[in-house]
Amino acid sequence: MPRSERPKGLRRVNDPPLLILTSLADGPKHGYALAQDIGEFAGVQLSPGALYGAIARLEERGLIEALPEVERRRPYRVTAAGSAELAEAIREIHRVVDVGTHRLGLLQGRLA
Amino acid sequence: MTDSNPRPRHDLKWYPRSWRDRYGSDFEQFLKDRYGKGQLPLSARLSMVRSGTVERLRTGGIVGSSVDPDTRVRGASLLVLCAWGVFIVAGSAFAKYTEHWPLATPHEDHWLPAAAMVAIQAAAAAGMVIVIMAGLTCLPSFVEHVRSEGWRSLWPLARPMTLSVIAAGVASVGIVAWNNHVGPSTTTPLGLRMAGVLAGLVVVGALAVGCGTLIAIVYRVRLSPRVTQFLGILAVAMTGALMVIFAGALTWWISTALHAPWFFGSLVPRSPTSPAPLALIVLGLMMLSGLVLAGIGAVRIAILRSHVGEASPMAF
Repeated sequence: MPRSERPKGLRRVNDPPLLILTSLADGPKHGYALAQDIGEFAGVQLSPGALYGAIARLEERGLIEALPEVERRRPYRVTAAGSAELAEAIREIHRVVDVGTHRLGLLQGRLA
Repeated sequence: MTDSNPRPRHDLKWYPRSWRDRYGSDFEQFLKDRYGKGQLPLSARLSMVRSGTVERLRTGGIVGSSVDPDTRVRGASLLVLCAWGVFIVAGSAFAKYTEHWPLATPHEDHWLPAAAMVAIQAAAAAGMVIVIMAGLTCLPSFVEHVRSEGWRSLWPLARPMTLSVIAAGVASVGIVAWNNHVGPSTTTPLGLRMAGVLAGLVVVGALAVGCGTLIAIVYRVRLSPRVTQFLGILAVAMTGALMVIFAGALTWWISTALHAPWFFGSLVPRSPTSPAPLALIVLGLMMLSGLVLAGIGAVRIAILRSHVGEASPMAF
């Protein structure tokens, strides 16, 4: 996907939408579980406003969808469009990682 | 959220009602899970203030593309109305500041600042006509709304405006009466100067409340796509008028700075003559910020104008 066509918020590794999609990739989660999971795998503590702002934008774009509430907590799951978006973002991140790895000579153990 | 713990409900007031209806209870539960029943940390509160404000702007169609094009054009038009309010305040102060410029400017250098002033006055008059036309355009929809919903639906919105307009009127009449009582020969007493500043703040406050009330009322009234489109055209025309006012003020300033720089110093006793006095810089920045607001609104209207009447991209 060309850079200009990509939705906002999937351009940096620590962008809340990318973190949320990544967290939902292994199954539905509600807000608190999402925040906990993101804290664990990315070390990022999303503020309440940032988390629910990103959830609202992702749902608006059809990248995630809400499931019925369970004990006042609403789980969200990633849609097919969201999975495709996440896959494309990860491929792009991989390209950058590959170039950086190659240029720093990390695979040859120069800086390792 | 149960009544036993009303705290998160209070914090959610920053978010628009549609957002609270959609995410409110889930969000409250999230806050409870993360922070328990204690006080929310300041950082969390600030993030909610910021996020809630953004959501309000989105719901109002002022930023983003979450709502239908009609609402976005309406929001952009109201943004231009706010810009006009900023220009009213800055323009009134500018008019007062510059009222004696012909006395300080050599006669042979009058034509350019005089032409700039004429352009400013013409554009200000055009702006007033545009606002009246916008009001008349919305009037049938407003009357229809009052007929179907009754005055009671609007009174809570209109009450602060009514009170602030009365306060502004009383303050203005009081200050004029006091000024006339003091007379022109003596130096202005400190009390009168302070009261003048206070009255000015009351008038500015009334203008802000008035703009806010108009915005709230316009969002409640159902406008047809045709009316919305026409409001958009008026808003773009208003942006043009504001550009003329800004260009005129800038032309006057540059011309006076070149040909009569002592004009700026003569208004502030014992201060060195500067072509860029603080008051003019502040007024210029106010106008510039108003122009930026109007420009954003006009660009959004130009982009969305052909989409008015289309359905909403999402339905929460």
